[in-house]
Amino acid sequence: MAAARARRAGASLLWAAVRHRSSQSSSPQAGLVARTSLTSPPWPEVKLPDPVEEAKYHAAEVVRKVNGLISAGQYGRLFAVVHFASKQWKITSEDLIMMDNVLEAECGDRIRMEKVLLVGADDFTLIGRPLLGKDLVRVEATVIEKTESWPKVNMRFWRRHNFQRKKIIANPQTILRINTIEIYPCLS
Amino acid sequence: MVVLSAARWVRSRLSDRFWRVQEVLKYARHFRGRKNRCYKLAVRSVRRAFVKSTKARREKKRFLRALWITRIEAASLEHGLKYPAFISNLVKSQVELNRKVLADLAIYEPKTFKSLAALAQRRRQEGFLAALGDGKEPEGIFSRIVHHH
Repeated sequence: MAAARARRAGASLLWAAVRHRSSQSSSPQAGLVARTSLTSPPWPEVKLPDPVEEAKYHAAEVVRKVNGLISAGQYGRLFAVVHFASKQWKITSEDLIMMDNVLEAECGDRIRMEKVLLVGADDFTLIGRPLLGKDLVRVEATVIEKTESWPKVNMRFWRRHNFQRKKIIANPQTILRINTIEIYPCLS
Repeated sequence: MVVLSAARWVRSRLSDRFWRVQEVLKYARHFRGRKNRCYKLAVRSVRRAFVKSTKARREKKRFLRALWITRIEAASLEHGLKYPAFISNLVKSQVELNRKVLADLAIYEPKTFKSLAALAQRRRQEGFLAALGDGKEPEGIFSRIVHHH
């Protein structure tokens, strides 16, 4: 038993030595390993730019250019995405918005919408994560009208159960006119 | 003879039956067939119409969301991204635009949508590197979380 185990151990040591020697002898030929379908992963290799260099390029080129465009006023019509009354609206200047709720503002009051998610012009877009700063964008609107919606009929009916209920609902609505969207060149 | 109480065989009779009938028929005027003229048929059709419109108001929201998703999927495929990749990477980059606005941007502001698709693609690549690189590479720029106070 002991002799058999020693022989098997000796054989494994011999086999390990043979393997070690064979790997040493093939290392100068490692560059000639064949290219198979498993040498590189199946997805395309993507090299992202260096973060330090990219931060420098971003600060120098992109921010400076956009700031220059904003301060020179070289943008056409601005559009903004605003979060208001628990909904998101894509708005420009001089357009009307109707919301299905009551605003605690009188007709003719000027309102500033503060939660701006995105502002864009023809050449550049400012994307907020998730909101843009209040010193960067200013969206002003005026309350024009506070009415009720058309009378909607809410009816429930179960057949063969003699059950029907009819209710007429008129939601309060508010109409706003977006006056201006302004941006200021304070990017960093 | 003196009558102290009203005669019992006088009953009150309806005088505005015409207007009660018109209240129902006015909602049936654009229907097809006899149910736009005959009250008995119109009552049933108008009741069904009201009930269907009530239920449809709840389903309109689901239908519109599916429509927006289809449109965003089409637009992002034009830029080489699939819809789940686009949406998940936008959310990971802390851009909280909803599907209605994304669909509107895809239709009316193609350049802005292209920039959003590029942002999502970049965040996706950074996510792959972070997952495969096992923490040896530097953290991606667009993967940084912005903290507001």
